[in-house]
Amino acid sequence: MSKPEFVYVIYIQSTAEKIWQALTDPEMTKEFWGRHQNRSDWKPGSEWRHVNYDDATDIAVAGTVVESDPPRRLVLSWARPNETDVSRVTFEIDDFMASARLTVTHDELSEEMLSKIRAGWPAVLSSLKSLLETGASLPMTRRNWKKAS
Amino acid sequence: MSHSVPSFVYTTYIETSAEKLWHALTDGDFTERYWFGHRVASDWKVGSPYKFARQGTGSVEGKVLISDPPKRLAYTWDPCSPDAKRERTSRVTFDLEPRGKVIKLTVTHDNLDEGGKTLRDISGGWPMVIASLKSLLETGRALPADLPSCAAEKTDA
Repeated sequence: MSKPEFVYVIYIQSTAEKIWQALTDPEMTKEFWGRHQNRSDWKPGSEWRHVNYDDATDIAVAGTVVESDPPRRLVLSWARPNETDVSRVTFEIDDFMASARLTVTHDELSEEMLSKIRAGWPAVLSSLKSLLETGASLPMTRRNWKKAS
Repeated sequence: MSHSVPSFVYTTYIETSAEKLWHALTDGDFTERYWFGHRVASDWKVGSPYKFARQGTGSVEGKVLISDPPKRLAYTWDPCSPDAKRERTSRVTFDLEPRGKVIKLTVTHDNLDEGGKTLRDISGGWPMVIASLKSLLETGRALPADLPSCAAEKTDA
């Protein structure tokens, strides 16, 4: 039985380097990713964490950097803290004409995790595009949405 | 993106109003700017025909199924290429939902032939068209790109 996967492709008028930075710099992720920061040294085998910007003990997602080839490819394992439901996220960044194409593949998913992430990725990645193209992310993604709901 | 159920769903969020987004989807002068040169024309009444054309050559046509401005638009999707003509007529639905100052846009393309040319073309095409639309509405500049499917059709012809 193959597990479900979720794929989202988005074209951004930016460079691969800037997209890589936006995904890995905690000060940038907080702008478009529900006021959370992605923290790691982004070396293969290192830990990474997706944590509340205002409370570093509040870890939403954590895992291992599986592959790291800046600015083209980043593969992360993905799990809620202390849960055994581990999935995998792959970011691929290609040059595309005068723009860049970001492909996010979230696979090895449980049905439960799929239902959690399928609404989140389009909002996060749409906001990332806005941030890089206009200088401002989408307002709804600047808030901590766990608190909002 | 190989799914056993041949429907394609793409969601994005655009900082604009529902009215502007509706206009962007239905006005030929506007679609020409972000839809890589393709102009749409219709009176957008239910049952009316619509047609996309690029430099006067038809690319996609069909009829309007739902027209509920500025919330929901649906039409049949009949590509003008001979290969796609052998496939069943598919359907595109646009849902526009306000989320504060942002509109959630969901494009659902269904009733597709599994493994068909239309499914292949639209799976690559919608993310480009929607990215270009979002860029144009938010920044005033469309995506500086072209649809690969159109380029491929030109070399085939």
